[in-house]
Amino acid sequence: MRRGTIVVGWLLIAVLALASGVGAQAGRVVVYSALDSTVTSEVLKAFERRTGLRTEALTLAAAGTLATRITAERARPQADIFLGGSNDFHAPLARQGLLEAYRSPMLAEARLAPEFYDPQGYWYGWYIGALSIFYNRERFERELAPRGVRPPATWDDLLNPAFRGQLVLPSPVTTGGGFIFVAAQIFRLGNEDRAFDWLKRLAENATFTPTAPAGITLVSRGEAIVGMNWGHDVRSMAVNQGFPVELVFPPDTATEIGAVSIIKGGPNPAGARQFVDFILTRTPQDINAKYGLRYPTRADAPAPLGMPPLSSLRFVKYDRQWAIDNQARLRQKWQQVIGK
Amino acid sequence: MAVGVVRWRTAARDPGLLLAYALVGAVLLGFVLYPTLRVISYPALADYLGIVDNPRWMAAVRNSLMMMVLSTTTATLVGFLYAFAMTRADVPGRRVFRSIALLPLFAPPFMVAFAYILMFGRQGLITRTLLGLDVNIFGWPGLWLVQTVAFFPYAALILEHVLEAINPTLEQAARNLGADERTVFRTVTLPLARPGVAAAMLLVAISVLADFGNAVVIAGALPLLATEAWFRIEGLADLTGAALSVSLLLLPTVLLFVLERVWVSRRLYTAITGRGSHLERPPTPWYVRGALLAFCGVVAVFVLLVYVAVVAGAFTRTWGYNWSLTLDHWRLGLAQGGGQLLNSVQIGAISALLTSIIALLAAFLTSRRQWPALERALDFLAVLPGALPGVFIGIGFLLAFNAPPFFLGGTPWILILALTFWHIPFGYQAAQAGLRQIDRSIEEAAADLGASGLRILRDIYVPLLRGPFLASFVTSFIRAVTNLSIVVFLVTPRNLVATYSILAMIGGGFWGAAAALTAALLALTFAAVALARLAVGRTIRALPVA
Repeated sequence: MRRGTIVVGWLLIAVLALASGVGAQAGRVVVYSALDSTVTSEVLKAFERRTGLRTEALTLAAAGTLATRITAERARPQADIFLGGSNDFHAPLARQGLLEAYRSPMLAEARLAPEFYDPQGYWYGWYIGALSIFYNRERFERELAPRGVRPPATWDDLLNPAFRGQLVLPSPVTTGGGFIFVAAQIFRLGNEDRAFDWLKRLAENATFTPTAPAGITLVSRGEAIVGMNWGHDVRSMAVNQGFPVELVFPPDTATEIGAVSIIKGGPNPAGARQFVDFILTRTPQDINAKYGLRYPTRADAPAPLGMPPLSSLRFVKYDRQWAIDNQARLRQKWQQVIGK
Repeated sequence: MAVGVVRWRTAARDPGLLLAYALVGAVLLGFVLYPTLRVISYPALADYLGIVDNPRWMAAVRNSLMMMVLSTTTATLVGFLYAFAMTRADVPGRRVFRSIALLPLFAPPFMVAFAYILMFGRQGLITRTLLGLDVNIFGWPGLWLVQTVAFFPYAALILEHVLEAINPTLEQAARNLGADERTVFRTVTLPLARPGVAAAMLLVAISVLADFGNAVVIAGALPLLATEAWFRIEGLADLTGAALSVSLLLLPTVLLFVLERVWVSRRLYTAITGRGSHLERPPTPWYVRGALLAFCGVVAVFVLLVYVAVVAGAFTRTWGYNWSLTLDHWRLGLAQGGGQLLNSVQIGAISALLTSIIALLAAFLTSRRQWPALERALDFLAVLPGALPGVFIGIGFLLAFNAPPFFLGGTPWILILALTFWHIPFGYQAAQAGLRQIDRSIEEAAADLGASGLRILRDIYVPLLRGPFLASFVTSFIRAVTNLSIVVFLVTPRNLVATYSILAMIGGGFWGAAAALTAALLALTFAAVALARLAVGRTIRALPVA
């Protein structure tokens, strides 16, 4: 028993050691980042060099998890900045009064198009992602090309019966990308009924993954042949990891706007404002294009290396306000009509 | 009436015991019941009523129940046979098998699924490269296999203690009365093991229901309640929907809990008597031995494949396509997650220690039979966390301790305490099973000699329950350092832990680095367990790792 007591004693000392190291470090900008760790740490390093402020980051790939956290921490916010993730996550936080409006003096210099920022200054878009079609080249050439199947290049190509059971899309019910895809079909085909007829046929071919990255993994590892997902994620998760994956942006594709916002009541509001100013400069947008392969919102920043220029992509006329207003209804309708 | 008066008088004479009740009760109320109520009351009534109209949620309910039945049955069966083999001294290689069977306890909860995709998927090393098959492992069959392998160790761990504690004298007596081996097994061994089997099934069933790590990786498009909560948050930032679906999970788990109580507590088994009598087990018949050996061999191969896949994945450039070896994943993994490994161990050790102490105390208090209602309430609170999925605890602590009156957000304590209270059922059930095997006449003798309740705890139960205590510490520690479902909600930028980085790496597509960091985490865990063994002495047999 004596030895056991010693062990317990040491552990209690460890408890105290940890507890004493808890004190919050003042003057730091705390960032909740929905971007991958490489982009996050490069952006933060550049910010620290530029301003001399220190940062702390919680890097998490899923914007929804961070938005949930910001909601739960509303009584005592733990972070200053919500970095990355579609504005579909930032806008609802602003509506709930969880974000701080800020009119950045950098906006004039950044010359963002009006669709890329909130007019009241709750969030600023600093990158763009576009939906793409991608396929596993190895399995495609082995199994489908000999049967005369052509690689998919348009949304309608996804209906090809040759892809039955081999097509994966992110679920419109549980992912933002999946929903933008559904809305894009409505805008492309002109009305809801025609779009749902088309989606019904699509659903006969496809399975729907509950998270967006899952579909990329399935195709890159050859578990499925064809997929639909964010082009930059396909490139960084599949193509650049050495998987035999081909990527194409179909006509009438749609986008997400990646945003940055200030959390209301965070520990360092002055630092948070400096951070937003910094994000609107070219440096972070170039970093994100380089490591994250996402398109910058600044017109003077070039497209990511290896990606087609943004001007060469053909976008559907996407009514963001209508899509957000009808989101809950369309998701319910999807479950009733498609049932997947 | 008269009994009540006597009770109060006894209590007044024993203020220490009364204080212990108050303390454990308050702590469990504050850290188990309070967060639970916060989650349940978060959605509005209308949200609850809308469930029936939502086909996806109804499908999730059906699928969760189906997986619970399938995986619990197989995991408990495998665990029982395994435990049975481990308690036969003449089964060759049982120490090796024992160590192997407990390996899944060390794996982060998503690792079995990840490894089986690498091994048995369309690009699987075994299915495609070795056998040339085209297998789709995604969906319920794959999840069934994975959950069986991932959760049978829990059953085996509990059942081994139980089977070990069955006095061979009883079996020998049956044999002397003319029973053959089958009859002995059916009429003596099995009935004596029944509380253990029930406890194992309860634990496994709840783990299966709450399992989101494996489900997230391998269930594919199959909606399940535990993962639905996660998807609501990850994809939609829908805290209400998440609280709703995890609240739905409570229904079956509370039902299971009641079932277990009714089944197990109807009879009480005392297998250790105050008067020690030891008898060697007679040799196991050769055909039983052979069957057990073959069975354990197959299970061991399935377990080892998990580790082979993770280690191989950590050194392979691009799995399935480029088999060349590389150290790049290690460089990346350790550069990003090295310091976090230390945090993981520290946080894990603290929470495991707290878990074991509170659990032992709670088990002792609920076995007193002085205050039946109070003890039942404490018992419910101590087992309740096992009925809560990790995401539920994560959301619960997030809601409960980021708002007045308790602020723990931003400190490591919110994470430590969440892990502590989530793991209490593990220590509690171990201590309880141990207590059940200790003859009350020992305690009564001490009480007759004037020992107070706390004195009895210290001088009789603590020494006798060292095994369950250590088992609880090690199990909680391993679960804490490999936890992901709670960590993602409560980790702070200043106290990052390793599993958190692994998740970020998987999200970013850095599977190799994720495998490398997992391997490093496992190595650290093994080292810590070995140290604990060394510190406490070799004579303790209850450590789950031989």
